[in-house]
Amino acid sequence: MLSFRTRGYNGYGVKYSPFFDNKLAVATAANYGLVGNGKLFILGIDNAGNIHQENSWETQDGLFDVAWSELNENQVVVASGDGLVKMFDLKVGQFPVMNFKEHQREVFSVSWNLVDKVNFVTLSWDGTIKVWSPNRQDSLVTLSPDHAAQSSSSVDAVAAAGGRNLAPPMSHKNQQPGVSTAHCIYNASFSPHSPLTIISCSGASHVNVWDIRAPKPLQLDFVAHGGLECLSCDWNKYKPTIIATGGTDKSVRVWDLRMIALIDLPTPNSLLPAYHTRGPTPLNEFLGHDFAVRKVTWSPHSGKELMSVSYDMTARVWIDQSDERARFLNNATSGCRGVMRNHREFVIGCDYSLWGDPGWAATTGWDEMVYVWDSKRLQR
Amino acid sequence: MDRLNQLAGQLSPSSKQALLQKNPDDVVIVGAYRTAMTKGGRGGFKDVGSDWILTKFLEAFLKKTGVDPTLIEDVAVGNVLNRAAGASEHRGACLAAGIPNSAAFYAVNRQCSSGLMAVSDIANKIKCGEIDCGIGAGVESMSANYGPQSIPKVDPELQENEQMAKCLIPMGITNENVAEKYSIPRAKQDAFAAESYRKAEHAVSLGLFKSEILPIEAYTREDDDDDDEGSGEIKKSIVDTDEGPRKGVTAESLGKLRPAFKPDGVTHAGNASQVSDGAAAVLLMRRSLAEKHGYPIQGKFVMCSSVGVPPEIMGIGPAVAIPSVLKKTGLTVSDVDVFEVNEAFAAQCLYSAETCNIPSDKLNINGGAIALGHPLGCTGARQYATILPLLKKGQIGLTSMCIGTGMGAASILIRE
Repeated sequence: MLSFRTRGYNGYGVKYSPFFDNKLAVATAANYGLVGNGKLFILGIDNAGNIHQENSWETQDGLFDVAWSELNENQVVVASGDGLVKMFDLKVGQFPVMNFKEHQREVFSVSWNLVDKVNFVTLSWDGTIKVWSPNRQDSLVTLSPDHAAQSSSSVDAVAAAGGRNLAPPMSHKNQQPGVSTAHCIYNASFSPHSPLTIISCSGASHVNVWDIRAPKPLQLDFVAHGGLECLSCDWNKYKPTIIATGGTDKSVRVWDLRMIALIDLPTPNSLLPAYHTRGPTPLNEFLGHDFAVRKVTWSPHSGKELMSVSYDMTARVWIDQSDERARFLNNATSGCRGVMRNHREFVIGCDYSLWGDPGWAATTGWDEMVYVWDSKRLQR
Repeated sequence: MDRLNQLAGQLSPSSKQALLQKNPDDVVIVGAYRTAMTKGGRGGFKDVGSDWILTKFLEAFLKKTGVDPTLIEDVAVGNVLNRAAGASEHRGACLAAGIPNSAAFYAVNRQCSSGLMAVSDIANKIKCGEIDCGIGAGVESMSANYGPQSIPKVDPELQENEQMAKCLIPMGITNENVAEKYSIPRAKQDAFAAESYRKAEHAVSLGLFKSEILPIEAYTREDDDDDDEGSGEIKKSIVDTDEGPRKGVTAESLGKLRPAFKPDGVTHAGNASQVSDGAAAVLLMRRSLAEKHGYPIQGKFVMCSSVGVPPEIMGIGPAVAIPSVLKKTGLTVSDVDVFEVNEAFAAQCLYSAETCNIPSDKLNINGGAIALGHPLGCTGARQYATILPLLKKGQIGLTSMCIGTGMGAASILIRE
């Protein structure tokens, strides 16, 4: 296991370069991201297994996520707490090469389009998701789950029919005293199979599927974690309709989007289709984390392996055998593959190595540590 | 600091947030109403039985809720004192009130919680898919049935059995036990009772109960007495006002009353619940059905929990039942906005509220059974009629009561 200390900065996001097998970008924030500066680290791993800092930039506010450009091996985009999205170039010192300034609140996640590679998606606690081109100052598309749910045809019909219950189905919006996180979007990413499809998840427990070509881009909307916040979502790299989500209910859930009813099905009388009385059921569920699951990531090397990191200070690797052939099998190879317990604080970010030996992963967290480790060698 | 609060929320997600979700398979309350509570033996219902009260009340209830009676699949009616808990005459009352005979009926008797058990049983039937719509109700005519005949018959040999004997202790004595064991002074009880009277009288004078009371017709016999039954003239009236609350009750005036159960006791007519007649009902449905038919949803039934306690101090029931239902729902006392804890006796209610740390400004806001009356089988359903108007949208309510022979029950609902 290799490690690097991001001294004075608590880790939030870590990503392997899509061009080099030994390069990592780490987004960090001082004072646990609550207040203060941020710092982007570019780390290199040498042949002796030592991690060294190749580059770094400080920013005005904490950095919450990072994504490598899929077009240019030197470019990295970071999500900042002051609402800015910044692009840095490894060959250009000191200052970002681009600032994208549209979000009103903390930008919480950024993710590059893996298929057509020309754009990336960011999202913010202001309740919007934005798609950007690295060459343009202004965003290409803005998606807003609250707005989309309000104006979807089915809800209009209900409003016209009875004038009651304008809120999106099963939302707890405006009902929670104190800080409402219902509008906060926590994670969004482009499908690795389609260049125009995005999934996102929110504090209202909703998972949304978007098609950015469509006049009404919201394609699917469902409650994934029983009303509790959904903090992370990721596409399976091998099965185009399979996603995983993690939430404050401590579970990791695997969904097949084909098994969830379309939003257009509800009738004016009932906000949900009649047969849909218990909400969608996940294809698979992994329990084991003791606190909220902060991030889930599918392996780039296997359609069955995924990793989750949590406030319980662990990273866990899971084997999902909920595919068609394994549905009726009950063998010992499924479930929790291993638990990584080296972190001494919340684990916030994780990524699988794409070019390295399958199974290698990197994690970072509030203990100012980046660990690079082999998930195949984990103890159960 | 938003970032910190957000993180705190993620680390200890509150169950409240999940409970406030609206799901199509929720059990929702479409209507909860009651009759006025009248004085036992002297009040507006003194000459009509529980069958009459229930018939007239259910008629008014069906009219008020506007529910299609053919949707009703089951009716549970709580009752304590009638023979066989009113299994025959209350079925008759349902049919006479206009509920079709295709709806099933059953009588429930878990003492003072019978009304709540009826509501919770119907809700659970909906929850598990047995039915889609039902009524949980309670009715009691203490005028007709309260008295020596309600003392249970026990085999003389078993009467010596310690456990059996504990279940035969009069309720007043169990309260003396609670007051003595937990050192609750009479002055404190009288102050609590006077406050109940003040709140109830205030609510009656402002007409705050009007929205929950359905006026029904009843008759009384003039100059009626036991020796010469039926001699009097029959007088019809509309009963629409609680008779229990009275003006000018103070802790001092209650302090003058003589103990009722033992010479050196603390329990008396003024700090115990009143002997009353009345009925109440709650119309429950699956949310998807209510939305399909466009019935207005008043609230959501969340959960009910019943527990056992030692029979000789049965009054502590709520002190065990309330933590139990809170634990099962994952809520805390501070999540609940209004508590309706039945005032069987001032001492037991005080003890229960203090044990659970219930703030007094959230407890029995418009008075309780000391002022309003406690028609045994009706009370559990009556609390639903009373608590719903006290809650604002999105607020959580809790109802609870102690139960004779040593039990407690508590339930959680959410106003929508």
